[in-house]
Amino acid sequence: MARMKFYCDAERCIECNGCVTACKNENEVPWGVNRRRVVTIKDGVPGERSLSVACMHCSDAPCAAVCPVDCFYTTEDGVVLHDKDICIGCGYCFYACPFGAPQFPADGAFATRGKMDKCTFCAGGPKADNSAEEYRKYGSNRLAEGKLPLCAEMCSTKALLAGDADVLSEIYRKRIVYRAASSLQRGVSYQDATLRSPSGLTGRASSNE
Amino acid sequence: MYRPVSGTAILRLLQLLIVLALVVAGNLSAQTQAEGIQLPNPGTDLWREVRQRAQPATPGPTSPMRQAPGIDLWSEVQQTNPVPAGNTQVKSVDSGMLINPVGDQWRRFRMEMLVPYGGYVLGGALLLTLAFYLIRGRVPIHAGPSDKRLLRYTVYERMIHWFIAAIFLFLALTGLTMLFGRSLLIPLLGPEAFSLLASASKEGHNLFGPLFLLALALIFFRFVRRNIYQRGDLAWLLRGGGVIGSKHVPSNFFNMGEKSMFWMLVLVGGVTALSGIILVFPILGLGRELMALSHVAHGVTAMAMMVVIVGHIYIGSIGMEGALEGMATGYCDLNWAREHHDWWAEQCEQNGEVVSVEEAAGTEGFAQGAPKHAPLGETGK
Repeated sequence: MARMKFYCDAERCIECNGCVTACKNENEVPWGVNRRRVVTIKDGVPGERSLSVACMHCSDAPCAAVCPVDCFYTTEDGVVLHDKDICIGCGYCFYACPFGAPQFPADGAFATRGKMDKCTFCAGGPKADNSAEEYRKYGSNRLAEGKLPLCAEMCSTKALLAGDADVLSEIYRKRIVYRAASSLQRGVSYQDATLRSPSGLTGRASSNE
Repeated sequence: MYRPVSGTAILRLLQLLIVLALVVAGNLSAQTQAEGIQLPNPGTDLWREVRQRAQPATPGPTSPMRQAPGIDLWSEVQQTNPVPAGNTQVKSVDSGMLINPVGDQWRRFRMEMLVPYGGYVLGGALLLTLAFYLIRGRVPIHAGPSDKRLLRYTVYERMIHWFIAAIFLFLALTGLTMLFGRSLLIPLLGPEAFSLLASASKEGHNLFGPLFLLALALIFFRFVRRNIYQRGDLAWLLRGGGVIGSKHVPSNFFNMGEKSMFWMLVLVGGVTALSGIILVFPILGLGRELMALSHVAHGVTAMAMMVVIVGHIYIGSIGMEGALEGMATGYCDLNWAREHHDWWAEQCEQNGEVVSVEEAAGTEGFAQGAPKHAPLGETGK
């Protein structure tokens, strides 16, 4: 089986937040909850890079390890999902998650946490595929339709990739090789320049993929 | 003494130089040979060139680590400082942080320390209490029950005691459900039924948790005067409250053990309550680091309290004859008071506060004021 992963290429991400918008629209995520976010580091200074983050669908998922009601499960595709009928909104997954993926709508007395919501890799939840209940609780199930997550599909620079880990790493490996070649041709190193399309090189700054 | 260099010495030097020259020349030729070999992988040339260009022109103060900007970038991504290093359009708790530096530590604390060791400590406390009961049995009133009573706790005092006791038991049970339920209760109840129980536990814990702070404050202000350590407490401690040896150790209204439990409850319970307040209000927008720290403090202190309260409940119920009476009815047996709180009993007798069983049963403590207790420094000796 495939092992689904996200990969965000910091050299390509232009911080357009298209992935965030696509996710929110596709999954009808509740107000105040963002399953995906774009984080910019070194904002406004040389070396600025942006990365789009959501649930990374860990192999050894910390959220699943600490959950007091054991509501997480990993699908055959390696997608980490959870059951909102079991979730009690304790927030432990949020403390443990390295990526800040679990989100909580404010709910109940003292505006405590409601049932957790997070990226599903557009794979729905434990309900019947593409049922109305699944859509209401977990958003769309594109994987069941043979499609990849909309955030990656909408990415205008193909910075955000989603799919089988082997395919993604192959794409990224090619990009790295082309980048090394282009920076060599331009006579610059990573130290002094960001990467642009090389003027004199017959090759490419990165692969077409 | 000066000696001219002999001819053989010069010859030896020459020999040595020739050998050295040969060795150096051999090395050089080996090097040129190696460079001349065409390796099948063209990437080797590429990388050699890249590496050469990556060398700084002048070895200056730049550290070799700075040659790869990816390292810089990565150190900001995998930040060790839990203050968000990035900017994002999504405004929520720690959203500017790419990798949460404390999550894994917290996970290890909860799953590898709190759950297993908490279970051992709590189970151990219960087993030790049971073993103590089986070995020592119930502490009797040696002189036998009398027909005289002393007012020990007023209605208000009993009320706040049972108030905090009820809240404590509820919070302990709901907290333990959430801590150990996954391993102990899911196999029994199944995930759906346990989810219902855990959800109710979480909501109940959150709702009644803040009341524990109020109850703790009431207990503190009511009982603090009688719980200040005084002369005689050290002797009580040194003799283990009478457990060591068979001789009775005298004490005042509260003995040293009770006083220590009071202070433990106030200080440790205060930490539990305050860390719980932090955990129950995510609306305050506190970061994950503080939340995780609060959870650690909450878990450790709650566990410590539960262990001590196991002992408290034991000695106040089946562990000692006559101990529950005072907190249940307001009056305690005079003989019990003489045996366990003799300085206080002596003073009550001097003040003429001894009542008969009938009188005590008649008032149930409702008509009584606060019991007089030995003021500070007066140990009734």
